[in-house]
Amino acid sequence: MKFRANLWIGGVLFAAVIVGGTLAPWLAHTDPVMDANLMNAEVPPGSEFWFGTDAQGRDIYSRVLYGARISLTVGIVSQLINTLIGVALGLSAGYWGGWWDDFVNGLTNLMLSIPSLIFALAIMAILQPGLTSLLIALGLTNWSYTCRLSRAATLSIKQQGYVEAARSFGSGNTRIMLKQILPNIAGPIIVIGTLGMGGAVLAEAALSFLGLGIRPPFPSWGSMLSDARDQITTAPWISVFPGLAIFMTVLGLNLLGDGLRDILDPQSQSRRA
Amino acid sequence: MLPYVFKRLLQAVPILLAVAALVFVMFSVIPGDFASTQSSDGRAVIDAEAVARMNTQFGLDEPVHVRFGKYAAKLLTLDLGTSFRTRQPVINSLSERIWPSLQLAMAAMLFAIAFGVPLGFLAALKPGGWLDMQSMVVAVSGLSLPQFWLGLMLMYTFALLLGWFPSFGYGDGNPRYLVLPAVALGVAPLALLARTTRAAVLEVMNADFVRTARAKGNSEVRVMRWHVARNAAVIVLTTLGLQFGSIMGGAVVIEKLFAWPGIGSLLVDSVSLRDIPVVQACILLLVLFFLIVNIVVDVLCALIDPRIKYS
Amino acid sequence: MLKKLVFTTALTLAAFSVQNFGAQAQEPRKGGTIRFTAPYAASFVSNDSHVSNQIQDDIYGKALHRSLYNWDSANNKPVLELAKSVEVSADGLVHTFKLRDDALFHNGRKMVADDIIWTFTRLMDGSKSYPAARYVRLLKGAIDVEKGQAKEIAGLRRIDDFTLEMTFTERTEPGFLFNFATTSIYPAKEAQAPDFFNKPIGLGPFKFVEHVPGSRMVFERWEKFYKPGKPYADKLVISPMGEAAARDVAFRNKEIDVSILGPTQYVAYKADPNLSKGILEVAEVFTRNMGMNPGFKPFADKRVRQAINHAIDSELIIKRLVRDKAYRATGWLPLSSPAYDKAMQPYDFNPEKAKKLLTEAGYPDGFEFEWTATPNESWGMPIVEATIPMLAKVGIKVKVKPVEGSALGGIVAKGDFQAYIWSNTSGPDPLTAMKCFHSATPQSACNYTTYKNPAVDKLLDEAGTTGDAVKRLDLVKQANAIVYADAPVWFFNYNKAVLAYQPWLHGLQPNATELALQYFEDLWVDASSPAAK
Repeated sequence: MKFRANLWIGGVLFAAVIVGGTLAPWLAHTDPVMDANLMNAEVPPGSEFWFGTDAQGRDIYSRVLYGARISLTVGIVSQLINTLIGVALGLSAGYWGGWWDDFVNGLTNLMLSIPSLIFALAIMAILQPGLTSLLIALGLTNWSYTCRLSRAATLSIKQQGYVEAARSFGSGNTRIMLKQILPNIAGPIIVIGTLGMGGAVLAEAALSFLGLGIRPPFPSWGSMLSDARDQITTAPWISVFPGLAIFMTVLGLNLLGDGLRDILDPQSQSRRA
Repeated sequence: MLPYVFKRLLQAVPILLAVAALVFVMFSVIPGDFASTQSSDGRAVIDAEAVARMNTQFGLDEPVHVRFGKYAAKLLTLDLGTSFRTRQPVINSLSERIWPSLQLAMAAMLFAIAFGVPLGFLAALKPGGWLDMQSMVVAVSGLSLPQFWLGLMLMYTFALLLGWFPSFGYGDGNPRYLVLPAVALGVAPLALLARTTRAAVLEVMNADFVRTARAKGNSEVRVMRWHVARNAAVIVLTTLGLQFGSIMGGAVVIEKLFAWPGIGSLLVDSVSLRDIPVVQACILLLVLFFLIVNIVVDVLCALIDPRIKYS
Repeated sequence: MLKKLVFTTALTLAAFSVQNFGAQAQEPRKGGTIRFTAPYAASFVSNDSHVSNQIQDDIYGKALHRSLYNWDSANNKPVLELAKSVEVSADGLVHTFKLRDDALFHNGRKMVADDIIWTFTRLMDGSKSYPAARYVRLLKGAIDVEKGQAKEIAGLRRIDDFTLEMTFTERTEPGFLFNFATTSIYPAKEAQAPDFFNKPIGLGPFKFVEHVPGSRMVFERWEKFYKPGKPYADKLVISPMGEAAARDVAFRNKEIDVSILGPTQYVAYKADPNLSKGILEVAEVFTRNMGMNPGFKPFADKRVRQAINHAIDSELIIKRLVRDKAYRATGWLPLSSPAYDKAMQPYDFNPEKAKKLLTEAGYPDGFEFEWTATPNESWGMPIVEATIPMLAKVGIKVKVKPVEGSALGGIVAKGDFQAYIWSNTSGPDPLTAMKCFHSATPQSACNYTTYKNPAVDKLLDEAGTTGDAVKRLDLVKQANAIVYADAPVWFFNYNKAVLAYQPWLHGLQPNATELALQYFEDLWVDASSPAAK
């Protein structure tokens, strides 16, 4: 109906991150790990090093580009896991009802009551720092909203008669769930997923700060930011650029989520928290 | 109302037990034990014999199910066990931290409400207008900043450059110490609250009963004050209740940064020292906080909006 | 290089004498509050100093408690603290202490021999595993108490209230054993009260007022402290602050009187015209190194380990990344060790030679290893990151294995690594430090690289039995040289600890065992302190 600024700005920002991350090997000036030259340590931004260099003498511009890969992986994969778990549990609970529904409800309440960052912190401590652990930690701790939403949506769709109709045509349960119900609840789930991706990028930064994130030598924005915190006064550029990258990405994802909600989920502006 | 509250409290018991079991299982497979963390500064030497002796002392040499049995039995009598690090009852370590933690969480929430709700309201007055755009940009920005980064920035700006507030610590209880950590912690819920308020107000304003009220000739101000505010409050309160969990999570980061003596910093310390009884107690306490806050929220909602009935 | 080292040390010493001179020139001022920081964690471990062997707790231990010995920072050796004199028997096993008769606990009661006996017996409680048990265990009969076979330590005998006899099982210098907070003397009767640790009392210069865990410990002057006129300050507040960035702001904002600096801040403070006036440096007894596990095949070969020492440009890392906040290691024993050998030369940075050694060892194309590291900025991941490109140039690929700061000790003690990077204490007693390379020392104790060389064993055994101090130092030096040539570790650097202090704080001492350990009874604040009143 009108120009959706948030959708466009968000989309462009997010697309820029995807392009930057994907094309990192071509856009980057140096290798993010091997091209450390201590003689070039802490050079301020300039024509040779666009974003300056860090304490190890590595090009921050290149590291921010490669960092996009990690942040995107963390955001997208962990959110996919969350969505998969949330939808599978919510849909089946809403569809089958009974003891399974009670069980899933209990599990969701349990997950909701433990702050997700603390849950992720515990998982990281157990699995030890690293990318895989991070994907697991963030992928297992943020599915409760998706689950609640899918369950509620499934319940309301079930009452609308589609399902009965499909069954009378002889469709199996799985088929009904996948073909009839899932497409109807996809909108809100995509919205939650988009916003959750932003949350995951921030969670990665928080865990890095607590010493439990993904760690060097490969750059992630969170660890770059966290490692540079002692240099804020002496060499601010080391933290400014990864900080900006996080900010732009999460901002983009939030705007995109808002924009998508306006399109996909117009009747429930207030439903999410 | 009372029976409802009682029922909700009863429902909290199985959740707490499930959390206890979950955390227990998780931390029984965590690599490293308290004894071996004691040599990590490269100064003290803890030989294998001492590690073994300490593990026997803490009962860590028994199989997991035996340990959990003992732990659960004690938990039911409200005994949280003995901290590995202080060798004192866990409740001692915990009780000193509760008040600072609550202070910080409440201050952060108050900050979020005081700024987030008016911001959302203003934005909703003229949807799509200049004010709307501005306030939503602020809100989304608040949601997009890593918290520890924001905390550091606040520290540099308001403590070092401007000298308005102390940069760290609990001080002697002077509320000046509370300001910076509370703001750092409150920005994300503020942003979310502004958005929720905006959405809630918009939805309610378009609802039939508000249109009726307008049509009846009630002044705009009256409509706003009564109908809209009351209905929006319910949505906002519910959001706030659910947000309490993320405030508690964020506190882990902020308390560590600002050397604030709360449950969050105790939890981080205890995880890294593998002081498992304290870790368990901290998480249980945070969950309990969360459950209680949400019961309070539900009761408040019912008081504000008589249409909400609990059975 | 060597000249430079000596010169730096001389400079450092000069800096201290200037400071001490300044302190003497001005009459110490009474009153005010010292606002100290404990920089190693976000909290203290316990109110019970016997429980924790962390430096963090030693810091407040210096205010609250006293042990039999204390560390003399100026002369770099342990000295008697709670005793006036000690007589040692000819075989070196029996020590007879004449105790102070003026040391009062904070409740006003005089310390007597029974308090020391009770304290040491408590430390040997087998069901409690106090860390200091490993020192007390050297007393005759202590093990029997630990095993529950005896109630009293046979090697501890009270002759009268102020005379105590200790019998050891081997020749030893008790000053190295009993100067830590983990051996603080507690009041025998009072300490058995159930609520003792809510408000612990000790013999130190400051009385316990309150502990807000995770925030601060507050103390006030103990009027009847046995050193006349001391302590100077009325109050002492120690805040645990593990976060360097936060400490930096608080220090610049004049909220704290001291801060331990990391490399980044060291450079910034030195460059600042005001902050640079308040910097105290000392060569600490810590050796930063990468331990290599001979169980991992390439590292079993001495030539590979030497190649690593040649392949890494340690000099450059120290200069550019550690910002000269360290001294190049030329052996295990550090600069401040009495057995430091000035004649030893560092491994030169020589990739060619490294390549050659690797080829001789059968790895012409290099190999890959896994390197366990914590986030520590001075001896953790940032250092590893800097070496990755250097090692790659000789064909060695590094796979980084990040671990939590607190997990490293356990992982290394279990031998669960191919290589690790760590900072290990290498003093103050050189023989104790070198014993970590004795093949009889288990990996879990401190022979982390399971080092084994009969020649070193022989030298160390001899050093342990000789009564001749000069000869002992010489033997230890020889052992150090052999270990250096065998290269069980990459010898990176010795720590230079740096403490920033506010201009109004006086009386700090360059403690080489740990710079953050200061003697609060000697510190005083002048009238320019914001907390001077």
